[in-house]
Amino acid sequence: MSKLEIDRAEIRFGSYEALKGLSLQADDGQFVTLLGPSGCGKTTLLKAIAGFLPLDRGTIAIDGRDMKGVPPERRDTAMCFQSYALFPHLTVAENIVFGLRQKRLPRAEQVARLAQVAEQVSLQAQLDKLPSQLSGGQQQRVALARAMAVRPGVMLFDEPLSNLDAKLRDQVRLEIRQLQRAHGFTAIYVTHDQSEALAMSDKVVVMNAGKIEQVGTPEDVYKRPVNRFVADFVGTANIVPVEIVGRDAAGGTYAVSTPMGPAQVRSDEPPIADRVYACWRPEDAALMPGDTLGDNIFRLAVRARTFLGNLTDVSIGAAGGAGPSYRVQTLGFADLLEGVSYSFHVPPDRLRLLKEAVA
Amino acid sequence: MKVRQTLLAYALLLPGLGLILVFMAFVLGMAISQSLGFFNFSGESGFSLRFWETMLADHQLWRSFWYSLRVATLSAILSVLLAYPLALWLRKPFAWSGTISALLKAPLLVHGLVAAFLYINFISFQGFLNLALVSTGLIERPLRMQNDANGIGVIFLQVWKQMPFALLLLTGAVQAIGDDILDAARDLGANAWQRFRKVVVPLTLRAMQGAIILIFIGAAGDFSFQVVAGPTNVNSLSQFMYRIQETSVDGWNSAAVVAVLLMATALVGSVLLAGAVQLLSRLGRA
Repeated sequence: MSKLEIDRAEIRFGSYEALKGLSLQADDGQFVTLLGPSGCGKTTLLKAIAGFLPLDRGTIAIDGRDMKGVPPERRDTAMCFQSYALFPHLTVAENIVFGLRQKRLPRAEQVARLAQVAEQVSLQAQLDKLPSQLSGGQQQRVALARAMAVRPGVMLFDEPLSNLDAKLRDQVRLEIRQLQRAHGFTAIYVTHDQSEALAMSDKVVVMNAGKIEQVGTPEDVYKRPVNRFVADFVGTANIVPVEIVGRDAAGGTYAVSTPMGPAQVRSDEPPIADRVYACWRPEDAALMPGDTLGDNIFRLAVRARTFLGNLTDVSIGAAGGAGPSYRVQTLGFADLLEGVSYSFHVPPDRLRLLKEAVA
Repeated sequence: MKVRQTLLAYALLLPGLGLILVFMAFVLGMAISQSLGFFNFSGESGFSLRFWETMLADHQLWRSFWYSLRVATLSAILSVLLAYPLALWLRKPFAWSGTISALLKAPLLVHGLVAAFLYINFISFQGFLNLALVSTGLIERPLRMQNDANGIGVIFLQVWKQMPFALLLLTGAVQAIGDDILDAARDLGANAWQRFRKVVVPLTLRAMQGAIILIFIGAAGDFSFQVVAGPTNVNSLSQFMYRIQETSVDGWNSAAVVAVLLMATALVGSVLLAGAVQLLSRLGRA
């Protein structure tokens, strides 16, 4: 277990700023996920932690020790590569003990650790095989076992599941989380898959264009996104510009005007401006019976409807087809007719004010 | 049906493969036959081991054999040893890397004889090197470097000429190793030398063996470098073969014995060298 502290890290590639003064902390045994779109700098940050890329400015410290000038081979980190990066000329067993041999651990210790990690990732029967004789999932496990065998303070995962099929991805995701909990290593996990980030992490770091947009628990970033980017990238969100027309600061309730109609918003924090963006999730809206009217109930017409088995995805908007569309998801099959208006209720505590003013 | 298809496949290969096999069999058969007394142009033809007995008892043959073996082995090893760091340096493109790579491979375009004469011009008693050393006052009198007794000049020329070939093979092999593989080794604690021993060498072993075998075979059978720049007190095997053919009464048959020995040396020597490299690679990655 190790504590990782990144302070104002900057990396440039020519005139391109890959990391723009980014600060982050991962506590002992914490599972931290760097989440963001391609090119946001998450893999650059991971490589900087591993020591493959030097920082132009700022510091990276592991357990309080500044890593400046410390080469990757002398850092207390181990990386699980996106491509697995297994040594093709070595057997599974030789791959797993590679790091242990570099550390010159006694042979008995090497054998013991090999047996332990092989059992943990269910590779006992594959130890004498070459990587080319394994399936994608098995190769991924070897990469995981190889990194785990050296018992690093900080384990770095670079989109390790991106080459696996959906079913295997779920399975290995669970295994990684279980192993992390069992061993207690600090994990920095890079992904662009928001469901992976939400399912695995203690802390999610949402990145965009070399900067951190939001840091928080999975629940925080999903339920309380700070801006349009986070709201849109983490899950699906309906984002609308709203104007604050009334305040009830004591109760934390605000009257707002939205393109869908007037509404009430409950918020612990005051809005940062009179005109800000607000968001609500597709599953937050409830279909109301008949022509129900009331607070936070919007009469909107169904523009399209897609039945997805466990839920129905509905596109709604103002009658007549003009104006923006909003997405609503209802459990099971919703017998809605396209072109017909229905009442949808978005509770005040589900309509969230973002910390982003309308320009 | 399957037999017919197999036969058809072989028949389709015949125009290319057949021609090669016929020529190989003809040359090998001719050399072996002549070494055993057949096709004697100056006497009675018939099976005889006397050419082998005479030649194997010849002290000069063995001097030539050991000399050629030494030159070929050192040339192959030195060429590969020099090519590896260059291949690693040129692994990733950088400014002017294409030009540097092309310049390093330029010796492939220069004929061996031309290179040998240029080399002689450079190191001869009144050559550029001696003139430069004398004019700078480093030495008082020109040094005798031409046709040195240890064959250093020939080895130098072999390496100059063959290293680009090794570089050509090794560059491709080294470039095929993914960055992630080397980063993974580094991440797991391997320093530069350990990465070279445990990852680069095993993953480029086939290219290295190919380079060693081809350079060894070429250097073992060298004639032109030896004639122009080689020592005068010992012949290479091919030079000795040529001399025997010209000066001996049973010239063709005796030369055939040397030719068979030369081919066997090239074959066995290169295989042994490739095997030794494989063994070293295995020991190196442990």
